[in-house]
Amino acid sequence: MTFRSSTDCVRATTLVPADPAAAFALFTREVDLWWRRGPRFRQGLGRSSVMRFEGEEGGRLVESYTDEAGGAFEVGRIKVWKPGDRLVFEWRGHNFEPGLVTEVEVRFERAERGTRVTLEHRGWDRVPLDHASRHGAGASNAFSSMIGLWWGDLLTSLRAHAKSREGA
Amino acid sequence: MSAARNLDRTLAALADPTRRRVVELLRERPRRAGELASAFRISAPAMSRHLRVLRTRGLVEEERVDDDARVRVYRLRREPFDALSLWLRELEAFWSDQLEAFGAHVAKRRAEAQRGTR
Repeated sequence: MTFRSSTDCVRATTLVPADPAAAFALFTREVDLWWRRGPRFRQGLGRSSVMRFEGEEGGRLVESYTDEAGGAFEVGRIKVWKPGDRLVFEWRGHNFEPGLVTEVEVRFERAERGTRVTLEHRGWDRVPLDHASRHGAGASNAFSSMIGLWWGDLLTSLRAHAKSREGA
Repeated sequence: MSAARNLDRTLAALADPTRRRVVELLRERPRRAGELASAFRISAPAMSRHLRVLRTRGLVEEERVDDDARVRVYRLRREPFDALSLWLRELEAFWSDQLEAFGAHVAKRRAEAQRGTR
């Protein structure tokens, strides 16, 4: 039987052509320009939105809706804001139980031809037990929304992902 | 949405350090309840509660061995871990796609800056 070595952390990394300070600035100040759109990547189930890091440490990552209904969703608070070095923010799905948050850490490290950006998403080990047991009552649940959206086009996205890796 | 529900149950069952360690031990091989209890500094009833959580959420199964009905061996079930791996792979793909988009944005900004200084 084979298992992943870790079930409580997911990691992704890339190399970008800018120094760490510039990469950090683009990652945060221009987040809406690069953060992909559509229901797989944004929380509003297909509503048009703007992503924004408001403030620095103690601030928040917010998705604001630009349709008539308006409103905003707070993805999470900014926990660490070290320009050119490290960014940590909380990550909530729109139907997480109150108080349940996961965490995303992004590190920016100088590399030979730019900056190595490493992202870690963790915190599954904080899902409380009673959380799952409430499903029967039709209560909201932590991951089903994210999973629901992802599960549906799982094969498509995995295929696209594999293709992008081939091209890389 | 039963795949999602099962996944939530799996994650919730793993949301405890003792149960994660039990799963680690069972990855090596099936073990008896008593063996598991003695591997931790917790009482047999406490271990039994953890095993019940893992069992009711489908992560482990127990079977009686030999002719002795009192001896039970716990082993991992494969399905919940396969589902979890699949989901974690999908989450990795999500963030890889995001970082790829970010990289493309940085490259675009750099190209614009270079055009501007020419």
